[in-house]
Formats: sequence, C-alpha cells, structure tokens
Amino acid sequence: MAEPTDLGDLPQATVMRRKRFRISIVWIIPILAAVVALGIAIQRIRNEGPTITIIFKGAAGIEAGKTSIKYKDVTIGQVDTVELSDDYTRVLVTAKIAKHAARLIVEDAKFWVVQPQVSLSGVSGLSTLLSGQYIGFQAGTSTKRARSFIALDVPPMITDQPGRLFLLSAATLGSVGIGAPVYYRSVNVGEVAAYRLADDGKSIKITVFINAPYDKYVTSETRFWNASGIQVSAGANGVDIRTESIVSVLVGGLAFDVPAFRPPGEPAAANAEFTLYQDKATAMTQPDPVERRFVLYFDQSLRGLSVGAPVTLFGLTVGRVAEVGLSYDSRDMVFRPRVVVTFLPERLAARLSSEDRTAAGIGLAGQTPEVRARTLRHLVEDRGLRAQLLTGSLLTGEMYVGFEYFPNAPKPKIDWSREPLELPVAPGGVTTIEAKLTSILTKIDNMPLDAMGADIRKLLVTLNQTLKDTDRLISNADAQWVPEGTKTLEELHRAIADADKSLLGKDSGTAQDLRDTLQELTNTARSVRVLVEYLERHPEMFIRGKKQESP
Amino acid sequence: MMTGAPVTAAQLRLVSCEACHLVSRPASAEEPGFCRRCGEKLEARRPGSIQTTWALTFAAAICYIPANALPVLDTTTPAGSEADTILGGVVFLYTSGSWPLALVVLIASVMIPLGKLVSLAYLLITIQRGSVTNSRERTRLYRMVVFIGRWSMLDVFVDTFTVALVQLQPLMSVAPGAGVLFFAAVVVLTMLAAESLDPRLIWDSGTDAAPATPISHARHG
Repeated sequence: MAEPTDLGDLPQATVMRRKRFRISIVWIIPILAAVVALGIAIQRIRNEGPTITIIFKGAAGIEAGKTSIKYKDVTIGQVDTVELSDDYTRVLVTAKIAKHAARLIVEDAKFWVVQPQVSLSGVSGLSTLLSGQYIGFQAGTSTKRARSFIALDVPPMITDQPGRLFLLSAATLGSVGIGAPVYYRSVNVGEVAAYRLADDGKSIKITVFINAPYDKYVTSETRFWNASGIQVSAGANGVDIRTESIVSVLVGGLAFDVPAFRPPGEPAAANAEFTLYQDKATAMTQPDPVERRFVLYFDQSLRGLSVGAPVTLFGLTVGRVAEVGLSYDSRDMVFRPRVVVTFLPERLAARLSSEDRTAAGIGLAGQTPEVRARTLRHLVEDRGLRAQLLTGSLLTGEMYVGFEYFPNAPKPKIDWSREPLELPVAPGGVTTIEAKLTSILTKIDNMPLDAMGADIRKLLVTLNQTLKDTDRLISNADAQWVPEGTKTLEELHRAIADADKSLLGKDSGTAQDLRDTLQELTNTARSVRVLVEYLERHPEMFIRGKKQESP
Repeated sequence: MMTGAPVTAAQLRLVSCEACHLVSRPASAEEPGFCRRCGEKLEARRPGSIQTTWALTFAAAICYIPANALPVLDTTTPAGSEADTILGGVVFLYTSGSWPLALVVLIASVMIPLGKLVSLAYLLITIQRGSVTNSRERTRLYRMVVFIGRWSMLDVFVDTFTVALVQLQPLMSVAPGAGVLFFAAVVVLTMLAAESLDPRLIWDSGTDAAPATPISHARHG
C-alpha cells in the first residue's frame, strides 16, 4: 500500500446534504382514485350495448329517456331519442340496448308498443297503466345482427313459450278478444293469440295458443266452443248454472274437449284448423258438418220462412234452411219459390242409438255416396218422404221445413243425378187447412142465396095459384055438372072423391112431401143466413171452432 | 425585500407553534424540536405540504368526474327504476318549478366542489411560482375553502336521509348510487387537501429570508 505523498492540492470533498426529496406516499390517493374511476369507466363502456333504430308509425306513449324496451318483463333497453323521419311520415326511435341483451338484437327480432289492456283476463297491461307504455320485444331466430327495425302494429303471437298454435274458424268473433283464456275442463290452458277476418271476409280466423303440456289434449277430434257467458238450464231437477270461470263470464273465453261419442283421436298438428262452435251443446252434439244440400220447390207462399230456419225430420232438427228465393222456369215462364236446405246427416246419426248407428241405419250419413243415394231413393219413392212447409208458431207465422212420410203420396219424378238434388214436397199442415177454408168460404160466398130465396117464394106463389085453380075447377064442376045428371054427378063425385083421395087428400103423400120440402127449404135458407152472418163476425171460428157460450 | 411587508417568524429564524401559536427559537434548523408550552412538535413549515395538497387535489379532481357522471340515487317503483345524477336532479328541480332549490343544489353540490378544486390548484400554483401579489386575498380564499368545505356534504347528507327514510317496499325503494360515494370522496379529499396546505407558504415568497430548508423542499416537491 503506497503512502500518500502530496495532499496539499487535493480538493476538499463537500458533505452534500442528503436530498430529502421523495415522492410522498400521499400520491397513492389520486392514483387509487384514478384507477377506480377508470375501472368504472371501462366497465361502463364495456357494458354499453348497441344503439338501434326502430321505426314506428306513431310515437304514442313513447318518451325519450323514459320508455324502456322489455323482453319477458326484463328491461333490456331504453329509448334515447324520439324524432320524426325525414319525410315526417314515421317516427324514428333510437334506443340503447343493454350489453347483456345485445345478442338478442338480430334481424328478425320484433318490436311493438305494449298497450295498456284494461281487461280482467290478465295483468299484462296493468303495469303499463302505472309506468306508461313500453316497447315489447321478441327475440328472433336469425344470427345476423341488425341495427334498424320496423315496429309491428300489433303484438306478435307468443311463440317463445312451449306450446302450440291452433287455428279456429268462427262465424263471428263474439266477445272473444286477444288474451281471452282457453279452458280445457275448466283449467286455463292457453289464450287467444290473434284473430283476423278470413280473406273472403266471411269468417273469423282465431289463433289460439295452447301451452305445453296441455296442447297434447288437442286432437283431431277436439271441438272448440265459445265458453263466454253463463249457461242456465232449467229442468225437472231445478236450475243448473254453468260457466267456465268468472273471468270467462266477464271477458269471454274459449274451451275445448273431445265429444264423448267420439274416439280420442290423434294429437293435432300445430296450426291445425278447427271449427269454433257457438256453445258447448252445439259443439258436443253436432259432429263435423258434412252438409248435403237439397232443393225444394214449394207451390205456396214462403212468407215466414227465413234462412237458418230449422229443417226437421219427425220433429228433430237435422239441418237448416240455407237459401230462400225464387227460380224462374223459362219453359213455363213462371217463378217458383225455391228453398235450399242443408241436411246434416251426422246429426241424424247422432240421434240414433248406438246399435242402430253401427247397423245399416246410418245409410243417410252414408259410408259411400252410392249407399246414401240408394237409401234416400228408397225413402222418397217407397216410403213417401216429403218436405212440408210447417208453421212453427201461429203467432209469429214463423215457418220451418219438416220431412215426414206420406205413404199415400204419388210417386215423384226426380232426376237423381242432379246436384243439389231436388226433393218432392207435400202441401203442408196449417197452410193446407187455410187453403181449404178459403175455398169453402169462396164457395159459400158465391152461392146465389138471394136468388134462391126469390125462387122459393115464386114457387110458393105458383103452388098457391095451382091450389086455387084446382079449387075453382072443383066448384065449377060442382055448379055446372049437377044438373047434367046424377049419374054424371055421381061419377064425377066418385071421380073427384077418387082424385081427392089420391091426389089432394089429407093422407096424400104428394102434398105432404111438397109441404115438407118447402118447410125444409125455408129452414135451410135461414140457417145459411145465420152462418154467413156469424162467420162475418167471427172468422177465427175456422181455427178455434165456435166459441162456447158462457152460462 | 418587500417594503412595508411585516417581518415574518421565518425571517427571524423563529418557529411558531401550530397548536398554541407560541413563537419560539427552534432547537436547530433541521429539527425545530417541541413547543415548550404545549409540547406540539414544531415545524417551520409542514413537511411536504404542497406535494400532499397536490396529490389530494388531483384525487378529488379525478373523483369529481364519476361523482357527476354516475347516479347518486336509484329509485325503484313498480313503474320501473330510475337513476338520478346530481345534475339530473338539478335539472329536474328546475323544470319542476322549484328553481331556488335547484340553485341550492347546484351551488352546494356542483359549484362548491369545483370551486374548491380550482381554488386549491390556484393557491398551489401561486405558491410554487413564488407569487408575491394578492397574498392577502389568497389567504382569504384559503380560509374560505377551509370553511366552506364541509357544506358540500349537504348532498351526501340528503342522499343518506332519503335512502334511509324512503323505503316503502314494495311500492318504492331508493338506493344510493355509486356517484354518491365518489361525491363524498371529492368532499373529503378537498377538505383534507385544504387542511394539508400550510397557509404560511403563501407569505414566504414575499420575503427574502424564507426559512432555508423546508421551503426549498416544498418548492421542488
């Protein structure tokens, strides 16, 4: 180690005071604050869903920054702005969709405004009464994302629930509305999803949604009916009141079941079509209307016969009147009243006892058209099945068409190949009586009663004269022939006596007969006058008979 | 040396006690020691005052953004839930006609915190740049910042009261939003920042004989 030699020139080291510069620990606070704030900001940005545009026809109930978009009652977005389109015909609504629902926003997603529905059938609309309307949403099945949508005018059918849709065809909608319950054995199993007028405008197509697992009870044999209201039936056992539920009384509803006399059937396919019957009784008794149409040409007034009037067979309803009108026979140049009736053969089959139904008796309901035609031909030609116009009610004059056997009716001439088939008619009940009465009255009216009276009087005068003449003849003979001789006189006397005995004697039959005849004629004339006068005052006597005089 | 400026304790190498304000000679320039009267630790100037204040002010400024952006109140009614921010509340109060209330909320909850942040920044910048003007006004500003700080808690107070009182389950329920947490943080941080700022620094720049060490620290810190 070398010793230091020269130390004089060396600079003196200075003691640097340790710089106490240090970063204060307090800076952790702003860093922490920044990290937290940044974290929240990032989370917010990450949670930011897509912004979409929905085109509405009107912005009723939609408020910017308030109206939400709900899917299964979960808010998945909120309306940002509401503005008019460039051409002022539509409303553009932009909405922010939550991140978690972003994947739902695909091409065929549907949006619509949920209207408050003030009905007792559900509380679906009740929340909108408080919250205002919201935009309903239904997810699509597409995988393509979209950012622009056109809103629906009406809510779509529910399809995201398990279950199936069925189509009902009804004549009128009745009191059934969207959301009306559908019952199966009084259990609410579905609802009316939609309805629309059929394309031809002649029926209503109602779409019902039946929730799983109840949809399996809808089979090929199922009948739907309108279960609205209350059914009250009074019978020997008292009054029976039936209803599906109080709700259906108030808001209407549908029900379905399989009629007892039908097999259960195969489960129906989705979107299968059914007929909606007007009530349970109709649905349960009336099989599917396999209608047969017949034409009837009546020779009498159709007044009182309206479309829909029943067609009966021995008093049981088996069909109804479909058309009432006229046909023009160009050959004879006459109008003929023409009635078209629909005949429901299966209704008839339903009336048969079960043994008969399985037997040949079902000919009318017919397995094959040939069997049907043969049965009908037999009934009409051999048994005398005829249609009659009958009066259902004397008060209203309502008419109906009744079929009955007239074994004595002449064999009709029928073109069996025509369709619809023309069936023979028979003059009907009260109408016949009426016609006969009218003809009697006419005949009485036409009787020359006055002339008859005059004739009778003339006859009496003549008779009187004859008697006088005879008397004179006798006196003359008496006066002239007495002097002629006793013999002559005696002969004459004998002759006169004979004549007297034979012709004018008290016991002479001729004179007696004549007198009796005259007496009878007088009585008849008086009776006829009395009858005519009474008839003029009481024409109803023909229907009711002469009124009994009260004692 | 500024003419007319009063002599400061720092110029005379004296230290005043922050607790009992007794002016005493420091034990040494490095370690002033303890107050003989009350036993408080003596500091010529609070160490790291400017740095701490800056840090707290920055923290408050950062918190100020989410405090206004996030909702302070989540109202849930059957009609749906609604989240209200402070400014949203102000707008709501104004549009619903009670503009005086809107003004109160606007001043207490928006303007005062913001004003405090700006004031603190201004004080810090002027101290660091060694500004010699407006020392008196700046001191007054400092006092005002310290005084007014707690009043911004009004909003937090109302918020907590509302949450506690309006619990009408299931009709209506109110929950505090994330914004109120940040808002409280802003208020607390600005109060702490104002506390940590040593107002004596305002007057140091005007004098030649600033206490050597602590001020130089502060200047560079």
